[in-house]
Amino acid sequence: MSLFFKKSIIAATGLFLCIFLIVHLSANMLLLLPENLARGLYNSYSTTLRESILISIIAYLLYISIIFHVIYAGIVTYKNRQSKGVRNVMNHKNENSSWASQNMGVLGVLILIFIVVHLVNFWARVKLGIGENVKTDVAGNMDVYEVTFTLFHNIYYVIFYSILMIPLGFHLHHGLKSAFKTLGFYHKKGLKILAKTSLIYAVVMSVGFGIIPIIVYFK
Amino acid sequence: MKVTFKIWRQEGLETQGALKTYDVDRLSEDMSFLEALDHLNETLVLKNEKVIAFESDCREGICGACGVFINGRAHGPHDNMSTCQLHMRSFKDGDTIVVEPWRAGTFPIVKDLVVDRSAFDRIIEQGAYITAKTGTAAEANAILIPKEVADASMDVAACIGCGACVATCKNASAALFVSAKINHLNKLPQGQPEAHKRLLEMTTQMELENFGSCTFTAACEVECPAEISINSIAEMNARYVKAKLFG
Ligand code: HEM
Ligand code: SF4
Ligand code: FES
Repeated sequence: MSLFFKKSIIAATGLFLCIFLIVHLSANMLLLLPENLARGLYNSYSTTLRESILISIIAYLLYISIIFHVIYAGIVTYKNRQSKGVRNVMNHKNENSSWASQNMGVLGVLILIFIVVHLVNFWARVKLGIGENVKTDVAGNMDVYEVTFTLFHNIYYVIFYSILMIPLGFHLHHGLKSAFKTLGFYHKKGLKILAKTSLIYAVVMSVGFGIIPIIVYFK
Repeated sequence: MKVTFKIWRQEGLETQGALKTYDVDRLSEDMSFLEALDHLNETLVLKNEKVIAFESDCREGICGACGVFINGRAHGPHDNMSTCQLHMRSFKDGDTIVVEPWRAGTFPIVKDLVVDRSAFDRIIEQGAYITAKTGTAAEANAILIPKEVADASMDVAACIGCGACVATCKNASAALFVSAKINHLNKLPQGQPEAHKRLLEMTTQMELENFGSCTFTAACEVECPAEISINSIAEMNARYVKAKLFG
């Protein structure tokens, strides 16, 4: 399989994950509503998702995307390191390229750690029933709101969740624009717009996800 | 003007190299960087020491022979400039200047600052030319090419094959060089008949030579003396998809 193909898999799965993040953040904004509204809405939204077949399919695509993204990112990064071989005695990379672009692998590993903890916190409890039992709310829905509420009243989790959204922001800033170029988008003006869009997207995702635990903590 | 050079000395591919320090005096700010190295070499000759091996030919930024890594940057501290166009006035009196060869697995060190860039030649051999006879200048003028197309082609044809893109890339990717060579011909009517074949054969050779893959850090477009843009790589990728689907 050609390197181009491998890199395209990273790009395509990455873009799919980027779209997912928009949906995920929008839904999580519900958590910021006053508690009496948020609990009912969030729990019924969560139940709807769990019961929809379409969402189940998308969820599997999501798991596959994460796995492929990580595996191919690992393969390509390893291969690229091998191609470089020797290191420079002195290298002022910061003068010709962004820090994020030089450290996508490290940033990715931080995000992976986040994803694992995040899945253990929510997915494992709600979907797999592993860990402490999840209660139901007055409407009979699983009280996922309560799960987030309790989790984000633990200051350590608040710090963990919020801090790790910083590497996510850096990863997305480089990743989004790079993915388009990898897949062959080369329109000159379009690329300028893309660069700005990537920055805005990364800031919105990073700040958006990062601020939710903090706001919930003070609720 | 006086500077301290720390220069990579290495006998050959199999031997260990190391930085060696040279205090060089009586330099002029108007000297080019390569002239300063010449000056240093002359003092080494007088001392009966081995001169520092480095490459150069045109010394006017068009042949691509001269590239070395200077103070952590390909072709020195300026953007988009070849080593031979760098002058000593870019440094301060008393500066320490670290000089090392291009570092990439695909560019083995021959001696001191000289590396073997023949991997580039083998990629060129895979189709960076057209097999059809294009005739004389008069016939060439009979093929109408819109100015924007000719300009875009010339922009990438400017690549001098210096290898800075590979040397500065954390992945030792040759994507900028290869994209320049491919797009140069594939944009023009003369390049059309062999466009897909050229693209697939050149990119295949690029992989066989063990160059890494492009992750768009964009370091290359900052160091490239010919100012080739990384958009050229994105364009090559688009052409690659097209060649795979319709080639
Ligand atoms: C929410 C999760 C993630 C999203 C949305 C995401 C998004 C992206 C995107 C869009 C790209 C660009 C592909 C390209 O350059 O063509 C990318 C590249 C990459 N990602 Fe991710 N990613 C995520 C998680 C991860 C994880 C968990 C890892 C590793 C453990 C990772 C490692 C990498 C690496 C190594 C690259 C390529 C690096 C490079 O271009 O130098 N990513 N990612
Ligand atoms: S693309 Fe630029 S940096 Fe790379 S070989 Fe050509 S001229 Fe040198
Ligand atoms: S010596 Fe020819 S480009 Fe520098």
